[in-house]
Amino acid sequence: MNPWLIAGMSVSATLVPCAAMCLRGSPERRLVGLEMTSLMVTLAMVMFAVGYGRTPFVDIPLALAILSFGGGLVFARFLGKHL
Amino acid sequence: MTAHSIVENGLLVLVVLACWLGAIGMWRMREPMQALHYLSLPATLGAFALAIAVFLAEGANQAFWKTLLIACVLFATNSVVAHATARSFRARDLGHWEPLDGDPFEFVRDTEEK
Repeated sequence: MNPWLIAGMSVSATLVPCAAMCLRGSPERRLVGLEMTSLMVTLAMVMFAVGYGRTPFVDIPLALAILSFGGGLVFARFLGKHL
Repeated sequence: MTAHSIVENGLLVLVVLACWLGAIGMWRMREPMQALHYLSLPATLGAFALAIAVFLAEGANQAFWKTLLIACVLFATNSVVAHATARSFRARDLGHWEPLDGDPFEFVRDTEEK
């Protein structure tokens, strides 16, 4: 166990309030929870990659950061027009 | 424990604090528009502090440049996503997102509307 893994687990624990936002309340609150979740998972994955000494896996949070941008825009558009 | 590792651990603590403050702040806000503002804390402070911590841990290698790219992507896209999301909230409420005369904030009208 090193500081990177501890920090990664601490950041992963923020998924509990994010899940509380995503699973309850209005669609607007759920969308904000989803966007926060993608942020937290991105940062936690970087920490786990460095903590486990598998730095090539930083590609995965990089892909997530780019794709969650598109996903967020699609959900926002869909929420404003169709839901 | 060297000064190098103290700074590295301090930056990790900063990242964790930014993430927790963002998550708790988002969770506690009543209005979705207020909760939306808390996205910026982990996307800016957290992401760049993490990039500096990776630099201290790994040096200027591929992992650092990728983490810096992640921080830049999060920094640039967070404002766009937050704006699009806020606009969709307004469009959902009103059927459009253009400003109204009675809105309690300043705005600039398009010249064509005048």
